[in-house]
Amino acid sequence: MKVSFFETARYQARQPLPSEWPVPSGIYEPDAGARAYRGMIERLEFVEELGFDWVSVSEHHYSPRILTPSPIVSAAFLAAHLKKIKIALLGPIVPQSNPVRVAEEIAMLDTMAQGRLVVGLLRGTSNESLTYDLNPAEARERTDEGMELVLKAWTEPQPFGWQGRHFRYRTISIWPRPLQQPHPPTYALGTSRESCDFAARHHLGCGVSYGSFESVGKATRYYREQCAHYGWHPSPEQIIYRANMLLADTDDEAQELLRKLPGQAPFSMRPGVREAMMTLDSRNIAGEARSPIVSGALPTTFVGSPDTVVEQVRRCRDVVGAGVLDLSLHPPGSSELEPLMRALELFGKKVLPRIRDI
Amino acid sequence: MAPSAFREGHVDADGFRIRYMEAGEGVPLVHLHGAGGLRLTPSHELLARRFRVVAFEMPGFGDSPLNTRTESMPELASTMARAIDKLGLDTFNLMGTSFGGKTAVWLALQATQRVLALVLEAPAAIRQEGAAPPSGTPEEIARRLYAHPERLASIPPIDPAMRAKTQPLVQRLLGPHRDADLESRLQDLSTPTLVLFGTLDRVIAPAMGRLYKDLMPNCHLVFVYDAAHAISTDRPEAFTEVVVDFLERHEAFVISRAETVIHP
Repeated sequence: MKVSFFETARYQARQPLPSEWPVPSGIYEPDAGARAYRGMIERLEFVEELGFDWVSVSEHHYSPRILTPSPIVSAAFLAAHLKKIKIALLGPIVPQSNPVRVAEEIAMLDTMAQGRLVVGLLRGTSNESLTYDLNPAEARERTDEGMELVLKAWTEPQPFGWQGRHFRYRTISIWPRPLQQPHPPTYALGTSRESCDFAARHHLGCGVSYGSFESVGKATRYYREQCAHYGWHPSPEQIIYRANMLLADTDDEAQELLRKLPGQAPFSMRPGVREAMMTLDSRNIAGEARSPIVSGALPTTFVGSPDTVVEQVRRCRDVVGAGVLDLSLHPPGSSELEPLMRALELFGKKVLPRIRDI
Repeated sequence: MAPSAFREGHVDADGFRIRYMEAGEGVPLVHLHGAGGLRLTPSHELLARRFRVVAFEMPGFGDSPLNTRTESMPELASTMARAIDKLGLDTFNLMGTSFGGKTAVWLALQATQRVLALVLEAPAAIRQEGAAPPSGTPEEIARRLYAHPERLASIPPIDPAMRAKTQPLVQRLLGPHRDADLESRLQDLSTPTLVLFGTLDRVIAPAMGRLYKDLMPNCHLVFVYDAAHAISTDRPEAFTEVVVDFLERHEAFVISRAETVIHP
């Protein structure tokens, strides 16, 4: 099992933050932002030392809870400060990006980082369609087309035009191309049938997140079936499972942490927006409709002492088939650093060595 | 859809009686069809709003008599050049689809001065090893030709008897998957050329597109997203827009004219 640490920048505000998204930017504290990014490097040097394989960054806007609106900037910053660890951009929100720009920036950074990049492409959480005025009803199609264009831009040797549904370019010929050829390890992120189909058709990895093992296991099973349909079999490393973990010395302590978690949605929208989003933003797990995550707290699927968590990881491998765990050790939006550092150390010493051969 | 603007005509050329469909006004755009024969698509109608479109049925296809005479693609191209002459078309744009793409390339080589610009829709002049025209039941053929056959209002019917008639002609004329003689000639063909491939082409690999660019001095490659081999049927509006733009502006078609003002 490979292990990735999901880095969210951990902004620490002096005053309590409103829960509603978008969070007013007027209450942003510049020095707290500077501290968050400095702290990120200190923490990740420790993460690297503990033996984590990757650090992952994501794209979220208009909120201090995950303070990385540009994953490429985060990744470049990390690449410049960290020496060995792989940097996973999970990932650019494709439907609201210029896919050619995404292809260029990733190729550039992969080369600058000496081939240490991992890439996940995705549609984004429901709230993000509000960020740049993306019509949620078009988000799926734009994602599929944009991902295909990113792959084409990385691999097509002659200048070419793209006559798409949502994107149109008359001439594309990117420099540099990625250092890792034909392109960095790439994942389509999401549980939907469309995302799994895309990954299977293009021989990409698949990344799922937050759901129970059984629920995301449906998506990864479907993904593997589709890969077989296209005549290949993904390696375990081609399946990423992003999840929350609450690790403590004993099961009781971990359960106590779980009880104390604020049951809050990470990006909570106004009720009218939330309700409208429920009808406009259609989501599914391997074809079975699911509601978009717009109101509930993200589940924590690993909870317990090191012994318990090791067993949970074993079960995750069996049920989900994941060969990479992308972990938040402590809720991603939390700004409490001390319990996070304790959990990291415990994970590095008592869990990581025991899950390597799972 | 509105009733077709196309009218049927016939022309005698090179000892063949050749049927064609014609519509529109302006600069002539001659179309040579694929191995399945002449079928009008929504793209023909859209192109006829801007050009005088003449879509030929090449000898041996459709209801025309069995063609045992034509021995090679250059020979078929020269027959078609005569038919174009007979219609009094002095200079013209030329579009070839798949099999007809190879005919069009030969025609452009033979009548370089007369061809204003060349459009090749999923051309068969260069093919991956083992590429084969679609065969099997009509459903199997449809799945090879179209990206989403289930979404099409109507799939053109396939007549097995007609296929049996044209198959030997197609086999005889298509030539090897890589034709060294043709490819060396392409290096001197400076006609403005647009090569289009659907990203889902299941007959000829879209990766063949770059080879035309490698060879031809004035060639442009465009991928039509979510279209298969029959690009002009799968995505007629997308296909027509880029073809019209290219025929009007040649290499300057890379300059965008899309307006982005939301409100003045």
